[in-house]
Amino acid sequence: MRRVDGPSLVTGLVLIGLGGLFLLDRLEALDLRFGYLWPALLAGLGAILLASGLRRERP
Amino acid sequence: MTPLRRDLDNRVVAGVCAGLGQRLGLDPVILRLSFVVAAAAGGFGVVLYGLAWLLVPADRAGASAPPGPPRRGSWQVAAGVGLLVLALLLLLRELGIWFSDPLVWPVVLAATGSTLIWHRSAAVRRQTTTRLRGLPRPADPITRGRVALGAALVVGAALLFLLANDAVSPARDVVLVLLAVVVALALILTPLWWRLARSLGEERSARIRTQERAELAAHLHDSVLQTLALVQRRADDPRAVAALARRQERELRAWLSGTSERTGREGVAAALEAVAGEVEEAHGTAIDVVAVGDTPLDEHGEAVVAAVREALVNAAKFAGNAPIALYAELEDGRIHAFVRDRGPGFDPAGVPADRRGLRESIVGRMERHGGRATVTTAPGSGTEVELVLDSPS
Repeated sequence: MRRVDGPSLVTGLVLIGLGGLFLLDRLEALDLRFGYLWPALLAGLGAILLASGLRRERP
Repeated sequence: MTPLRRDLDNRVVAGVCAGLGQRLGLDPVILRLSFVVAAAAGGFGVVLYGLAWLLVPADRAGASAPPGPPRRGSWQVAAGVGLLVLALLLLLRELGIWFSDPLVWPVVLAATGSTLIWHRSAAVRRQTTTRLRGLPRPADPITRGRVALGAALVVGAALLFLLANDAVSPARDVVLVLLAVVVALALILTPLWWRLARSLGEERSARIRTQERAELAAHLHDSVLQTLALVQRRADDPRAVAALARRQERELRAWLSGTSERTGREGVAAALEAVAGEVEEAHGTAIDVVAVGDTPLDEHGEAVVAAVREALVNAAKFAGNAPIALYAELEDGRIHAFVRDRGPGFDPAGVPADRRGLRESIVGRMERHGGRATVTTAPGSGTEVELVLDSPS
């Protein structure tokens, strides 16, 4: 079985999540304010960094 | 310059940033952050990344790629944790669950710092366990620096927190008490710690000594004891015994002086020693080899080694049981070698014209390679062949 690449998976999930947020905002289902967007971006970045840092140690 | 390639071995998405970082000598994390920022600013980064993904070919031969920037696993983990904590705090603030703004930076700094301290990289752990069969190993400077920075971050966060809450003056008394306790503890514990560290060090060196002794015993068994067994078996053949003893002596000397370990680098010195060993075994005479310095074995060096071999063979054939000495000075392409024997010597003028050994294999060969050979001999006074070569480098 192909090994799942952690950082790629996390990056993909983060992008999907952000995309979902933007889509919901576009569909007026959600009022996306800067105050919510900023933490979401930071959290995504943090998750990517965390995943890639953890992967680098277990090559 | 290496061409720009996507580095699939260190990729996060498609290796664009890893490859770019390798080419530019930057940490790919910086490039990744720039791409994310550019992506957040109107989707520009996504388009750029997609184009790079399409246009830049992938690098499949990851093993031959030059080493990129140093691995920074723990830094990434610490930064990631810090960002996640920051995001959580901002979210809480936005939701109205909030205590006070000055809390943000201290908490983020403390989270980052403590992650740096507590997160010991798996690579370091692995290294520690495999080194020297579990011998304790002094902490490496990178780990120590990381722990120090982490501690500084945590302490800085605490101070920031106190400052932000105007709590420095009331806290001063507490700090004073804490300081006194820390100093007292240090006074009590330092001798203990010192003794522990020393006993650990002593145990470590004792274990190293034991290992070295075992290695020595193994080597002596493989070489000297085996040779002694062979000598016993061939006691009726003095020539064979002498040759065995010489070979063992040479090997033991090489081992003691550490020259047997330079197997990867074949220089003229090693080649001369090998040639002397061959002649010794073939003719059963003792040859003393002294080689000072070394120089890489090139085409000219090989010619000198061949000439030396011919001179040694001559000496072994005609000098009887008289000792033969090979002395060589080697430095940066310059080879200066002597082959001496205390045999009967000969009259150079009396050598028949059809004997090619001296004339062709030694003098002619040296001249063809831009060197010279001088033979000094007279009946009854031994022979000396001097070979000089300056390699045109």
